Amino acid sequence: MRIPKPNPIWFFLSPALFLIIVFYVVPLFFSIYISFTPLQNWNLARYLDQISLENYERLFYMAMNDPDVTKVVKTTIVFVTITLIFNVLGGLILALSMFFMDESLSLPYRLIWILPRMTPIAVYSLIWYYFFLGDESGTLNSLLLRLGVIEKPLAWGNSPELLPESAWAIIILVNGLVGVSFGMVVFYSALRSLPREHVIAARVEGASAFQMTRYVLVPQLKWHIIYVTVWQLLSLITTYAHIFLLVQWGAIDKWWGSPWALYVFNTAFTTSDQGFAAAAAVILVVIGGILGILVLRLMGFKKLMQEPKGEL
Amino acid sequence: MKKRRGIMKFSGNTLYRRGASRALIAGIAVVIIIIAAAAIIAMREQAPEETPTKTTPPAATTPTETPTQTPTETTPAKPTLTGDIEKDIVAIGKYLSANGVKEAKFTVAGAGDPNSVLRTLAVVEAAERLNKILAENNVDFKITIEDNFRRGGGDQLAEDFATAFASATNPDIMANSYKHIARFAEEGYLLDITDFVNAYSGFISDFYTSLLDAVKYKGRFYGIPQDTEARPLYWRTDVIACLRDAGKGDILNVRGMELKEAVEKGLVTWKTVYNYAKTSVDTGCTEWGVLHRKGSAHPDLIQFIFAFGGVLEDPNTGKLVVDVPAVYKWLYVEWKMARDGIIPEDMMAWDWGKQIHPSVVSGNTLVWIGGTWHWTEWQTKPYFKDPNTGETRPLTAEEVQKLFYYTLFPAGEEGLSPVTLSQPFVWVIASNAGKDNPKYDELKDVYHMLAFLLVVKASDPDLNAIHSIISAHLPVRKASADLINDPGWVRKLANLEIELSDRVKEGIRDIVKATVNDINVRFLGDASYMLEYTKLTPIHPLYPRLADIYRDAVDKVLRGEMTPEEAIDFIKSKVNADPELRDATEIRGEIPSGWSFP
Repeated sequence: MRIPKPNPIWFFLSPALFLIIVFYVVPLFFSIYISFTPLQNWNLARYLDQISLENYERLFYMAMNDPDVTKVVKTTIVFVTITLIFNVLGGLILALSMFFMDESLSLPYRLIWILPRMTPIAVYSLIWYYFFLGDESGTLNSLLLRLGVIEKPLAWGNSPELLPESAWAIIILVNGLVGVSFGMVVFYSALRSLPREHVIAARVEGASAFQMTRYVLVPQLKWHIIYVTVWQLLSLITTYAHIFLLVQWGAIDKWWGSPWALYVFNTAFTTSDQGFAAAAAVILVVIGGILGILVLRLMGFKKLMQEPKGEL
Repeated sequence: MKKRRGIMKFSGNTLYRRGASRALIAGIAVVIIIIAAAAIIAMREQAPEETPTKTTPPAATTPTETPTQTPTETTPAKPTLTGDIEKDIVAIGKYLSANGVKEAKFTVAGAGDPNSVLRTLAVVEAAERLNKILAENNVDFKITIEDNFRRGGGDQLAEDFATAFASATNPDIMANSYKHIARFAEEGYLLDITDFVNAYSGFISDFYTSLLDAVKYKGRFYGIPQDTEARPLYWRTDVIACLRDAGKGDILNVRGMELKEAVEKGLVTWKTVYNYAKTSVDTGCTEWGVLHRKGSAHPDLIQFIFAFGGVLEDPNTGKLVVDVPAVYKWLYVEWKMARDGIIPEDMMAWDWGKQIHPSVVSGNTLVWIGGTWHWTEWQTKPYFKDPNTGETRPLTAEEVQKLFYYTLFPAGEEGLSPVTLSQPFVWVIASNAGKDNPKYDELKDVYHMLAFLLVVKASDPDLNAIHSIISAHLPVRKASADLINDPGWVRKLANLEIELSDRVKEGIRDIVKATVNDINVRFLGDASYMLEYTKLTPIHPLYPRLADIYRDAVDKVLRGEMTPEEAIDFIKSKVNADPELRDATEIRGEIPSGWSFP
């Protein structure tokens, strides 16, 4: 009798698989399960066997009847869409501009753009909190008052005349400046690894910087763009840390400044309504999954994964 | 490519595969070894917990069997609480000792500002005092305490308590706001101490009656008050003097009586406050007429509902109540004051350190809706920009006394009463208290009694009085208030000549030095009368949701995003949009017609 030989692939994959199963798959299924229970105040012993669709019904009812939940939905759509464009296009523009720069200039330039990512979240959020503070001591107000642009200080994140756009602009800016460096690093690394012959040949042919970008560089970055887009999309759908602090400190309107992920967090950890929060999170995961697949399809991810046709 | 693949396949069928198989087997072996090692470590970690329970029977029999030949005669009966703490602790000590338990460990956790360390240290002191009684009675048993005090609010501590409960790693005793009692009692996390409290009726009768409502849920006791506060209306005396100089009359004298008395009698209402505030802004004596705390500090504003004669819950149905007339009047006052430039439109988003406190201590407002704890906060935090030196510094006790006058929160309108609002901190006992001790299942009733006695002892009048003075909270017991009003005792405290264990003495030495002075002690004594007027927010699991809606509504009327009428509709729609809240809430009354303000 022959003993079936185990596939070495599983040996190499097992550590990563183990981590993914323990820290992602199990919690995911546990969250889905919790979403069907009335779990609150972390009382697992009491609520885990009470299965119902109540949380989903309540969520649906609130989405239909609570104007604040509608605000959260709108904020999520605007925030994810615009920040995604900002992060991908911004990252691309930054990478291209650095590609054409002298290395001595490019290095400090890169460092500056990567600083927001390196700064601890609380410190970074505090800087923005004071920047948009609603009295004359707020940095933006102080600046605009001195320049004579405004006559009295404005509550940028809260004023009813400026909402919702102002709150959206703040959360997009605050997150965008952190997120843009990710695309920048990926695109810049990709550009640096392109065959130099292509650039030299284009130069010899007399291509301008724009032409080179349009016809030589960007086409070769297609797969990187797909990767950054999907990665950023999924990150943005679930991000809340910077926004949480700004909302908590009152710098931005509680509802116009809250994307769905923050709503989930607050429901689970502030109002201690974990079953309901899990239902809201499951909806988010489903939407995130669908959007991720959609983007991969639209951008031709299958082609990326196909084996090369030519000989190596 | 195909050729290369062929080569790979060819080379792989012998050496490669054999090597891979060995690597695989070696890898699996390593994983098994790691898992086995982890399991052994995990079992060892569990072992100390298991050991006492497994080895307890012989240990338990030793003390009862060895000293006497007739165990039935010497084994004490299971104790019950009598109300005499010395008798009870001796009985419990003897009983546990006879069952082989020579030492019981309890954990206590609390949260608060740095001066509130007695929220946990008082239990440490209580254990010391109980141990002393045990030693004097030759009982071979002692209590040890593991205390954990964290700076900041108690909400995170409450969440940690809830998450730890499932794994029984929660503290046995917790000092936290009374507002968590409803949901934790509902979940079964808290010990129902009603029977114990009944046995200690003499002890409990010394507490202010209004505060006892804060520790009851559905008629049962779930805690003992630890400290409380009142929310006075602070008046700037320099702004009042400015108005007097401008010929606008003397606010401090109302119809021949002092302002404090006039507020107490309901002669000064929010209409009066509005007029004073408007005059002070119009005459340029101050920038703002009224300031209040921001977003999350909504309990201060809930006072308006009570001041306008409203309620927050119906004791008969147990439902929360949206009292539309009172809520409308409150929102109207806020809306009107914001439209007239008396209160900032973005009040709910002001910064504590940069805007709110500096404005109050610098006299940029006539009135400040604050709390008793601000009295010492202004003395310890550098909010005040000294006009002489240009430096920011705390106010001195003398300056605070000179600049601030305080009254109750005035009645909404004539015919109604003034109020204040308290959010007492309470000691609660976990329903699994004593869980870390041997034979828990068998002896848990006794451990629960022991935890209760610790809380009773931690509430000793002197400990409660010390806490009140050093943290600027109001005492919860009449006996404590008497001590605070006793200059001789306060002098002893200032010199730390009170009988306390070394650990506790060291823990509070610096705080006592900084805070115990005549002005602060007098303030606490004087402000204590407010507790007779105090109101509590409902002990209801869904009340926090309703309070959040009120907070949003206030923000919207202040900013002018909604009129008071629209805000009432907003509150109704928010309540009705949440099926759980809708079912638990009664919306009562209509917007009053013909009512005008001011």
